[in-house]
Amino acid sequence: MSTAIQENQQPFSAKFLQFYKDRTLLAILLSLFAVMFVYGIFFTDNYLTLTNFKAIIRDAALYGIMAIGLTFVTLSGNFFLLSLKETASICGVTFAMGMATGFGSPDLAGNFMVSLLAALSVGVVSGVIQGYFVGMGGNPIVVTLGGAGILYGIGAWWSDNLVINFTRPHDAEWLGTGSFLGLPSITWSFILIAIAGEIVLRHTNFGRKVYLVGANKAAGKATGHENFSMAIIVFTICSVCCAFVAVAFVAQMDSAQSNYFSAEFGSSGDMTILVIATVMVGGNSIMGGYGSTLRTSLGAIFIAMVDNMMVLQGFNSGPRIVGVGLMIVFSIIVFGLFAKGSRAQE
Amino acid sequence: MRRITRDVDLSFAILLSFCVYVFFAMNIEVFFSHNISFAILERFAVLGLVGLALTICIIAGEIDLSIGSNAALCAVIVVKLTDPLGAPFAMLIGLSVSTLIGATQGFVIAFIRIRAIVITVGTLMLLRGVALLIAEEKTVMLTDFRVPDFITTKVLMYFSPASLTVIFIFICVGIFMRYTKYGREIYAIGGARKEALTAGIPLRRPMIIAFALSGFCAGFAGTVIGLKSGTAQGLGLQYLLLAGTVAAFVGGVSILGGKGGVLGAAIGALTVNFLNTGLVFYALQVHFVQLFTSVLLVIVIVFQTMSRIFDSRQARKSLLETIDDRKKALLEKKRSVLGK
Repeated sequence: MSTAIQENQQPFSAKFLQFYKDRTLLAILLSLFAVMFVYGIFFTDNYLTLTNFKAIIRDAALYGIMAIGLTFVTLSGNFFLLSLKETASICGVTFAMGMATGFGSPDLAGNFMVSLLAALSVGVVSGVIQGYFVGMGGNPIVVTLGGAGILYGIGAWWSDNLVINFTRPHDAEWLGTGSFLGLPSITWSFILIAIAGEIVLRHTNFGRKVYLVGANKAAGKATGHENFSMAIIVFTICSVCCAFVAVAFVAQMDSAQSNYFSAEFGSSGDMTILVIATVMVGGNSIMGGYGSTLRTSLGAIFIAMVDNMMVLQGFNSGPRIVGVGLMIVFSIIVFGLFAKGSRAQE
Repeated sequence: MRRITRDVDLSFAILLSFCVYVFFAMNIEVFFSHNISFAILERFAVLGLVGLALTICIIAGEIDLSIGSNAALCAVIVVKLTDPLGAPFAMLIGLSVSTLIGATQGFVIAFIRIRAIVITVGTLMLLRGVALLIAEEKTVMLTDFRVPDFITTKVLMYFSPASLTVIFIFICVGIFMRYTKYGREIYAIGGARKEALTAGIPLRRPMIIAFALSGFCAGFAGTVIGLKSGTAQGLGLQYLLLAGTVAAFVGGVSILGGKGGVLGAAIGALTVNFLNTGLVFYALQVHFVQLFTSVLLVIVIVFQTMSRIFDSRQARKSLLETIDDRKKALLEKKRSVLGK
């Protein structure tokens, strides 16, 4: 008790020095990174402009929304889904099918609401099925790895692995390329979903249950909050987020194909890994029970900032993927060292 | 033999493998010929190694997601260095790089004590970037395509030097895992980590050995693919993760760790190979192969989960029965004492 009070009374600089002494390696890593980041901000042309900042948030929005969905899964202690991009691709194919052909009935062709509902329900179905298997006691990584193959196979089979086009003008333009009060719609959705996620996690019964089940599965089970229903709900939330991103992306591109989200999405290789990286860089505990959607959104913006900086400096995709990869490994090691000895690890 | 009958998962693996083989053998006439067997063994050289890599990691209670990137990196290095240095030396460098990467991962996992899935997701991306960087974002190619002919020549009708080496690696790893102290340590930290650590087994040594072995196997698989096709890409070979996981799980490892073995990995890899080779005859697109492989994985997972639930129910039932028996015995004792 007395030591705690003493620690609180120490001035900030002394605390900082103590921290530096205790964890030299960690402190050196952190300060090195901070120096590099600040150097990059001030010595990159056109970086500190409003237009560029809008572009950064727009980049972050696509994988940020998926990452917010994934945060629910991670917080509830179910690690992560490896089927994110496959879920997104099958939902995108569904949406494009609806916009192009109306699922066989010409009256419905181009009907935005029907296509959106169809895409979202595909997301719900895939989420519920995967969540069911995970809730039954399957390992999330392995189940979703299998689910990824099946979803991709079905999506490619359905679309014959062709690009499905639909022509402009269509009803979904406001979502894909439209903007509102100077910001693109997808940015607005990102902001709204982030706020909604934060409210759900902080101020609703369900949100607190997610933390409880994630922090201590046994205690959750003993108090009647089983992982079974929790897994189904969080997997559904995550899949619906993927479906929404897919719809926005397809509405922007006016076309869909089963491997739109596969290799070389954006600059960082693989959509699934990028989303998982976002959750980790944000500093959520991968064992569950610790973190928030705010952290995830900040992680998404941070990754987009670094990526954008490297683009403006004229790097190729190789160094950029190395950059994002280093960032993930770095943040894992930093958070691992921080959490050493606490309950955040096994 | 007793091992097989006692282990439900292994016997299910053998049954599944047999079913897949018989299905294709009934429908395709040439499936028995030695050319097909040669082709299956050629694929086994790659898939078996990846399956073995994942099997070792899962036995240690962890999962290595970075094997695809590790294989791609090794393939790029080997193909790039074959021209200036010659194939054997290039292979040596590539394999030592990927073994070193695996060992480093194992060290980090044991040192910070985080789950392997966390760190290997990071290295998946990092290694992929490094492979792209080394390949300069291009497809690396051999200039002389006759150089790697030595690994595809037929030996004894069924084998090639590649598949013979892989079978040799399987036997070595099998003996290592089963009969040496270091191998048993890997089983120990996978099956019951807390108990093993309390009993004095160090976490670092088995973890480093397991991940170094897995890195070596992934690198060897990448080498074989790279040299056989003569080309390598930084972004390629990501499908190996799914195929390897299916092979490992069909082979009867348990995700909880400490269970399974090299024999199972071989059977699992052969099952996946039967499926892949059989599907070639139906001339299906590549996504169908992925679909069927995933269905195989889901079948195995459902079987494993069901058998686990069944086991725990049986255990609970027998526990309740013994408690009941004891209660009855106590009551009778009480009655006999009171009755007097």
